[in-house]
Amino acid sequence: MNPSQAERLAARQHLQRQGWIARRSEAFHHLPPPELAHWLGQPEADADADDGNAPALAGAGWTLHPLGHGGAHGVDARWLDALDPAQRAELLAGLPPPGDGEAAPFVWAHRALCRQGLRLRLSATPGQPAAPVVLQLRHQPHQRAEAPLLVLEVDAGVHCVLLETHERTAADGAHPVTQNLHGHIRLAAGAHLQHLRVVAPQAQDQIAHHLHVSLAPAAHYAQALVATGSAYHLQRSTVQLSGRGARAQQAALLLLDDQQLDHQAHSDLAAAHSASAVESLVLAQGGARAVSNAYTRIAAGADEAEVRQRLSGIPLGGQPRLILRPHLEILHDNVQAAHGATWGALPADALFYARQRGLDEASARALITEGMARAVLERSLGDTELLSDWLATGWLTQRMARQARQRAETPA
Amino acid sequence: MTSPEPLLQVRDLRVQVGERTVLHSVSLDVNAGSLVVLMGANGSGKSTLGLALAGHPAYQVLGGQALLAGQDLLALPAHERARAGLFLSFQSPPDVPGVKNNLFIRTALNAQRESRGQPPLDAFDFLTSAKQAAKALGLPEAMLGRPVNEGFSGGERKRNELLQLALLQPRLALLDEIDSGMDVDGVRAVVEQVRRQRAQGTAFIVVSHYLQMIEQLEPDAVLRLDQGCIAETGDLGLARHIAETGFASRTAPAGA
Repeated sequence: MNPSQAERLAARQHLQRQGWIARRSEAFHHLPPPELAHWLGQPEADADADDGNAPALAGAGWTLHPLGHGGAHGVDARWLDALDPAQRAELLAGLPPPGDGEAAPFVWAHRALCRQGLRLRLSATPGQPAAPVVLQLRHQPHQRAEAPLLVLEVDAGVHCVLLETHERTAADGAHPVTQNLHGHIRLAAGAHLQHLRVVAPQAQDQIAHHLHVSLAPAAHYAQALVATGSAYHLQRSTVQLSGRGARAQQAALLLLDDQQLDHQAHSDLAAAHSASAVESLVLAQGGARAVSNAYTRIAAGADEAEVRQRLSGIPLGGQPRLILRPHLEILHDNVQAAHGATWGALPADALFYARQRGLDEASARALITEGMARAVLERSLGDTELLSDWLATGWLTQRMARQARQRAETPA
Repeated sequence: MTSPEPLLQVRDLRVQVGERTVLHSVSLDVNAGSLVVLMGANGSGKSTLGLALAGHPAYQVLGGQALLAGQDLLALPAHERARAGLFLSFQSPPDVPGVKNNLFIRTALNAQRESRGQPPLDAFDFLTSAKQAAKALGLPEAMLGRPVNEGFSGGERKRNELLQLALLQPRLALLDEIDSGMDVDGVRAVVEQVRRQRAQGTAFIVVSHYLQMIEQLEPDAVLRLDQGCIAETGDLGLARHIAETGFASRTAPAGA
């Protein structure tokens, strides 16, 4: 047994000893994840992998596409095979141990199943102007149960604009997928990452994405997530603001029909003058079940830290269940913090305004709902070309039109 | 010689908001291309009249009639009143987050065009005319690309109402305190815009307390609303008298 196999086996044994996510878990009890066996895959597939019979890496599920004018200058991308001991060591180098937090079983399950990963480093190019590096990362699942890994390191002063997509068409969605994906993002001092994530699984997929972000002094991370529901869908991010003046903005637009989506945004402000903003908008209908959970901790000594949490949900039709949970834990006096949760209808004044201009009820609702969705993304990413280009693809408009059609077709 | 049928005919309109009857009996006529100024103390029912005619769901019509070009306005849903040619400039235009101004107005304009059997304007043609209209109103072109009213000052919101008025070309426009928040140039833009559209046949009901603008608008009639009734009808002389003496000194309408 090589060290890679030994590590994978050890992770399985750990899970067998410690068990899976507890039903009473504070973070997961509203939408408990499927049992552990789902996240470990089929034993035969694992045995094949250990015997070297696994499918070829073929980009390890991740494909990288430089966008914009800058090309791939300063981009170092390495697709690594976690079944190979040396490559596994390189892939996991510097990552935190699984620990014993509420989500730790997902990390152990990832260590047990992870076969492939992408390690990406963005460096400043000497002599090149400091233009933003614009990239697209696409991920397509390759196995019915998988545990992909992404490690992204952004060097000091580098500005990156990243579109990360996880989309499945009906054609490639013939078989439901169970995916336990972990991403580790590290921004060095003064680095800036604008990160648009689009995660649209098929209805029967079971998805758990865990994003771990650490920010050095004056680093700035802005994430806008667009996620749709599925049989199980978890989007969990943990942002560590450990450097003075670090800033993080996380926005989530969650679109659900009759499925589930659990959004968990954790932030830990450990340095002075750090700032965190979390915003979510849940647009749900039918029998959807959605949780949006923001937890922010301001550590002792985080002088003049600023925190804002704004969670909102709008039931568009049917009887969706929406749970919005803003939490603050403040261990320092000289800070500013605001949080709130709103669950309600579309703004009546804007609706009437649109109708007074000649839009019928359905068109007015569609225009205003999509506007609110766009506003959430724009507040996090600003008026970036990447976001406006993505919005111009019509993906969001089509998705929301589909929601509206489903509402119209569902008997009251 | 017979006078033309008024474009707007309101008869004995009674409106309730919540538990309170705000309009007790309002009757008025407005001809195509004419301009009526509506004055009245705070709470007299001026905004209620506009919102009730526009079909705001919180404003319940208890009785009466309102015809626009012979069409029963009160029988129509709000969007069809707009498509019939009624435009309300809001006293406090709301934000529409995330919806760019040019998209909002183009969507509205095309909805109205479609109802009239006209082909939709494409984005390019619309933008060309929108930029021209914005320039004429002194509204920075960049505001077309910003979300509707979000972050706009009071004056910018009102200019944005004027922009919509200019592009939607209604038959009847009710401007509710369009001058509030406007600077001198803004008020001048109101007067010029109203003059242009009156010449094309648009009728106006203008709610205002600002005598200088009222004088420049050259109204055909000035009405004073008091406790939900038209208490006085006159000309510019009435507006000047109200500006001089205020509302408190004037008598309540007979039988009110």
